[in-house]
Amino acid sequence: MLIYLLRRVALMIPTLFGITIVVFVVMAAAPGGISAQSLVDGTNLEPETRQALEDYYNRLYGLDQPPPVQYLRWLNNISPVGFVREADGSLGTFSLWKAPDLGVSFRYGRPVTDLLAERLPITLLLNLLSIPLIYAVSIAIGVQAARARGGRFDVASNVLLLGLWSVPTMLAGVLFIGFFASEQYWRWFPTAGLVRREAVDQTFLPWLGGPGDVLLLAVLIGASTALLVWAAACAPTRARRLGGALLGGVLGYLMATDLHGPSPGGLHLLLALCGAFACGALAGLPSAFLRIAFAGGVGLGLGVGLARVAGVEIVHGGYLFDRGWHLVLPVITLSYGGLAFLAKLTRSSLLENMAADYARTARAKGVAEDDVLWRHVFRNSLLPLITVSATLLPSLLAGSVIVESIFSIDGMGKLAVEAVQTRDRELVLSVTLISGLLTLAGYLLADIAYAIVDPRVSYD
Amino acid sequence: MTETASLHGGRALRSRSWSRQVLAALLKRLGARIGLVWIAALVLVATFAPFIANSHPLYMVVDGAASSPALRHMEPLDWVWLCGFALAVVLLLLPLKAWQRLLGWLLGVAACAAFAYATVSPPALTIYEQYRELEADGRVERLIRAPIPYSAKDYLRDFADTGIEAPLAAGDGRVHWLGTEENGADVAARMIHAARIALGIGFIATGIALLIGTLIGGLMGYFSGVVDIIGMRLVEIFEAIPTLFLLLTFVAFFGRSIYMMMIIIGITSWSGYARYVRAEFLKLREQDFVQAAVACGLPLWSILFRHMLPNGIAPLLVAASFGVASAILAEATLSFLGLGLVDDPSWGQMLNQAVQSSTFNWWLAVFPGGAIFLTVFAYNLIGEALRDAVDPHTQRTAGGAS
Amino acid sequence: MKLLEIDGLVTELSDGRNWLRAVDGVSLCVHRGETYCLVGESGSGKSVTALSAMCLLPFARHRHPGGRILLYPDVRATPGERPGGHTEAVDLLRADEAFLGSVRGGRIGMIFQEPMTSLNPVLTIGEQLDEALRLHRPELSTQERAERVVEALAEVRMPDPASRVREYPHRLSGGQRQRVMIAMALICEPILLIADEPTTALDVTVQAGILNLMRELQEARGMGMLFITHDFGVVARIADRVGVMRRGELVENGPVGQVLQTPRHAYTQGLIGALPERLARAPRPPLQPRPLVAVRDLQVHFPVRRGFMRRVVDHFRAVDGVSLEVGAGEVVALVGESGCGKTTLGRALLRLLEPTGGSVELDGRDITRLPRKSLRCLRRRMQVVFQDPGSSLNPRLPILTTLIEPMRVHGIGRDDEDRRTRAEQLLERVEMPADSLWRYPHEFSGGQRQRLAIARALVLEPGFILCDEITSALDVSVQAGILRLLRRLVDEQGLGMLFITHNMGVVEFLADRMAVMHEGRLVETGPTAEVLAAPRHAYTRKLLAAVPRLDTMLAATD
Repeated sequence: MLIYLLRRVALMIPTLFGITIVVFVVMAAAPGGISAQSLVDGTNLEPETRQALEDYYNRLYGLDQPPPVQYLRWLNNISPVGFVREADGSLGTFSLWKAPDLGVSFRYGRPVTDLLAERLPITLLLNLLSIPLIYAVSIAIGVQAARARGGRFDVASNVLLLGLWSVPTMLAGVLFIGFFASEQYWRWFPTAGLVRREAVDQTFLPWLGGPGDVLLLAVLIGASTALLVWAAACAPTRARRLGGALLGGVLGYLMATDLHGPSPGGLHLLLALCGAFACGALAGLPSAFLRIAFAGGVGLGLGVGLARVAGVEIVHGGYLFDRGWHLVLPVITLSYGGLAFLAKLTRSSLLENMAADYARTARAKGVAEDDVLWRHVFRNSLLPLITVSATLLPSLLAGSVIVESIFSIDGMGKLAVEAVQTRDRELVLSVTLISGLLTLAGYLLADIAYAIVDPRVSYD
Repeated sequence: MTETASLHGGRALRSRSWSRQVLAALLKRLGARIGLVWIAALVLVATFAPFIANSHPLYMVVDGAASSPALRHMEPLDWVWLCGFALAVVLLLLPLKAWQRLLGWLLGVAACAAFAYATVSPPALTIYEQYRELEADGRVERLIRAPIPYSAKDYLRDFADTGIEAPLAAGDGRVHWLGTEENGADVAARMIHAARIALGIGFIATGIALLIGTLIGGLMGYFSGVVDIIGMRLVEIFEAIPTLFLLLTFVAFFGRSIYMMMIIIGITSWSGYARYVRAEFLKLREQDFVQAAVACGLPLWSILFRHMLPNGIAPLLVAASFGVASAILAEATLSFLGLGLVDDPSWGQMLNQAVQSSTFNWWLAVFPGGAIFLTVFAYNLIGEALRDAVDPHTQRTAGGAS
Repeated sequence: MKLLEIDGLVTELSDGRNWLRAVDGVSLCVHRGETYCLVGESGSGKSVTALSAMCLLPFARHRHPGGRILLYPDVRATPGERPGGHTEAVDLLRADEAFLGSVRGGRIGMIFQEPMTSLNPVLTIGEQLDEALRLHRPELSTQERAERVVEALAEVRMPDPASRVREYPHRLSGGQRQRVMIAMALICEPILLIADEPTTALDVTVQAGILNLMRELQEARGMGMLFITHDFGVVARIADRVGVMRRGELVENGPVGQVLQTPRHAYTQGLIGALPERLARAPRPPLQPRPLVAVRDLQVHFPVRRGFMRRVVDHFRAVDGVSLEVGAGEVVALVGESGCGKTTLGRALLRLLEPTGGSVELDGRDITRLPRKSLRCLRRRMQVVFQDPGSSLNPRLPILTTLIEPMRVHGIGRDDEDRRTRAEQLLERVEMPADSLWRYPHEFSGGQRQRLAIARALVLEPGFILCDEITSALDVSVQAGILRLLRRLVDEQGLGMLFITHNMGVVEFLADRMAVMHEGRLVETGPTAEVLAAPRHAYTRKLLAAVPRLDTMLAATD
């Protein structure tokens, strides 16, 4: 196993080389290429000053050299083994341990490492929040669909999931911002960024008016959540559907009231009907896990709303809440695509395994159908999910590009777009390297996870 | 010996080739039918775009002289679309094999394109306002307009103060069913012309990717060894770079013409097809009928193209359907990020305009965005249905032979 | 004493749209201490009957319009038997799920055909055995269960049971996995064991061991056994009573001696008559002395790579110095178990694989190292027919193209019209209708496809044909037709044939000479009758003793 790991890591290096070479070739082969020309164009300088500036850039970044030499210089910079680069750009002594230097961004004028250190955590935060969400929900949906194969939930969810997967990320993001985060419609969510200026100075947790308010808030949240969860778990299907439809209708009406005032109109009717339909369907789901999760969420929101109405004074929301509030829409936009795909994959994998020979043996032993699913089939069905998770990370990174651009979040995706737009050579190469590294690491982790879960696989 | 489906009792079937069978199985499925209907509608709209949305009237009599400005101003590309459509319809009706049809269509379109670009030359200067001026002057006796009387690039300069307007909200006698975008052009007209871009890029980019992928994957699968190792490294490299990022790089550095975009999207997405073809070829090499073909001494090209490739295209077809969807999505994303085509209309670009100003222009999000969604959804539906249709298990239960 | 009675069972299966009657009015009875064998060809409904008894058919896709399956109360004084026992017979088809759960594994155990896929790959065999105990013997403690598991493995003659408990299934061989399956089925001491073709996928010697084991366990516990199979040799070896099924109906039923020796129904007579050992043998024309194909000391070694740089550390010797001759007009049978290298030998002979050493001569010419171009012309002389009818013909081409293309390449026939006439004549020779030319392979049954594959092999007018287990996947009656066809072709045309098989009955009918292969080497060769009557090598003796043969069994019971 160790040898296999070493082999894989060793094979990653030529692939990384290949990636950077491809990107470098693209940049160099483009009309205009990479030269100091593009850096000094557009500045209003005297010809001599301009020439001096060009020379300076050329020396500093080696931009007047032919592309292969530039590539080698860049390789030298990033590798821990190589020539130390002096301050004026010339090469110094050879050392076996020097700090990898990713260069300085043309556009920002700051070291690339600093930029990445600022932006990478944000992108990682978005993605790492999305991944557990995706897996949890998709497994729940997939299991439910497989259990009631051919039933209404199964057929409906299949079509819905395919439709969800087909919605382009940009469309979803634009619609979310347009309807839920804009001035004209519901202003439930913030429009941009990850955090408000004021929130940085606030306390971490919400600051309420007084201890009485805290108590009241806690009681209201607890009561409404408990009530809804109990109803979702124990009430009979008819009652649940009815109750859900009622709740949804009221919520829809309130949504319309927010926009157009309390007098009933076309929008009120439309939203009330949509809300009733959606909530009724969700409350009538056969899967207890999904119902309870949904009910819990609604209960929480309801509790907070009731607390506001009851006069609880919330001085400010606190840093944690503010962060979370800003993250809701981006995370949803980022994860719904992966969720739909994984849910379908889970369902088909489960169905295939439920019909397998070893499941039949388990049934012949007298194992009940539910236990066959959870104890025998489930782990075998995870295997294709793990294989797919290797490609999940790159697709999430790509999704981040769009999501960050729409929601104006300063993450690595947005950095990549800016870098490419301004032909910032150092930045483009570094971002390529990092994303290539992350992707290959994702593949490797997926292979290791596969070897852990499946005892048949042994890399020797 | 296991219990086979010979429970069916050995009914004799009409003799049908595999492609006919798959087509029949495909058309049985509701999802595929819906998808095909939408795609067919798009193709019709794209082909006849100059007659559906055009500022130039279809037929006009001015001062006693009859003319058809729409026909006069048609671009060579418009003629190529029309010819391609007619050729496709003709070829579908003739009794030919699938690959013969494809080859015939490609050659026909190429010939048409050469001819069109050589002969057709519309007037260089297009003044959209002239017809409205003529009408205002009262010199027009008969006028037949296109259903949407605006071209994609008609920015309505003769009406002052045009900008983004909601559907049906404009005054002064204009009717924009889907509103206008920020330069004043009609959204519906731009969407119809953008359908051409979407379909064109979708098919051509996927075609390029299929070609490259099949070639490399086939070579890898048939000749293992060094060829396989090098090929796998290439595939891994192109897989490991997030596609969007490579696209961004390519497009930003290489320029934004439509042909460049087709090629670029094609080059960045071939790795999946190569993997499929390689896997299929590896499997097929060991299949008995291929070994029998080798034992019969059949030449290499026959083994590759007659025995192995036709049996290996099933997963390729499924992947290609999803691939067209992702190519369309890629182009829309690039346009959305501002890196798309410069002057040609594109769905993604209009989607971008929805959130650019401080107000949310919902019609620019719902209509172009909806078009992207429906097209991608249609291809995904077809892809899913194809997957079921080529799967041998479902083929058997759906009434195939035992 | 009755254990299980199936009374007029009717089962219908659905494929999503149509309902098909798989079992139509089957009645049989299994008694304590006896083995009831259910025999039939594929599609006869025997597996469906067994699955119906356990109510294991896929949930929404089956129904029972009629019949009963009666489970009789168990009067053994077995300690720890689950309470809730019944004093009279219960109809399993109308029982509730809870009762069925206690019956499955607790009262009736079942083992299946494919040992490779029947065990859960991600759980150790100890865990899987333990689960059965936990379900049906909840009163046992963890320690007691662990002991019981090791005991169960020892009972099925598993070597070193205590350490095997922690192994995963993929580390065991096919025979060992089947033993684990038996242990799992019997660990809760059921009174009836249903076995659905448990030895069909195993090697002959392994099969013999498993059959002996099952017989011993049955006698030790006094169980009843319902054994499903298609092999009459197995029936003769272990059955007390036999039932013959055909298209969902039970056409014959009775004690084994009576059914096998004096069958009453025409179908049973036909089945037994179609067994290769019972086929009539025509007199053979005299052989010609010159060898058509001569193999001398052939070796095929595959490198084994290990380590960081994937260096070659060893060679797997698939074929290790084999010398063989096949003359024109004679059939040589190559016999051996799976993994002995017979398939590899066949492919190396045709140069579909490259041999690592030794030589192959065709018509006296050494073809081992010929370049591809020259080899192509010689390919006419050697042809091959493969085992799997599903993949032996290109599914995308109509039969006409499959037959004509080789003719075109080798320049046989003046034009396509002429070639089509030849193809039609060829189809007639393999007893297929002429309009098959316009059809696709998926429209034919397995046996018909093998005939078409034989036609394709004959189209180039070869002198030598390699047949690689071509009838192993076919039913007995279909096999009989193919074997007779082959014999006729060899006799009429003077072909040389190397027939790879593991079925001794086929060897007896078809082959003039036979060769026994074991671990890459030939251990014995000689005329068929001699080798079968008086084997000299120990392995040959072991192999022949393990093969269940109808006649020997019947002779033994007389």
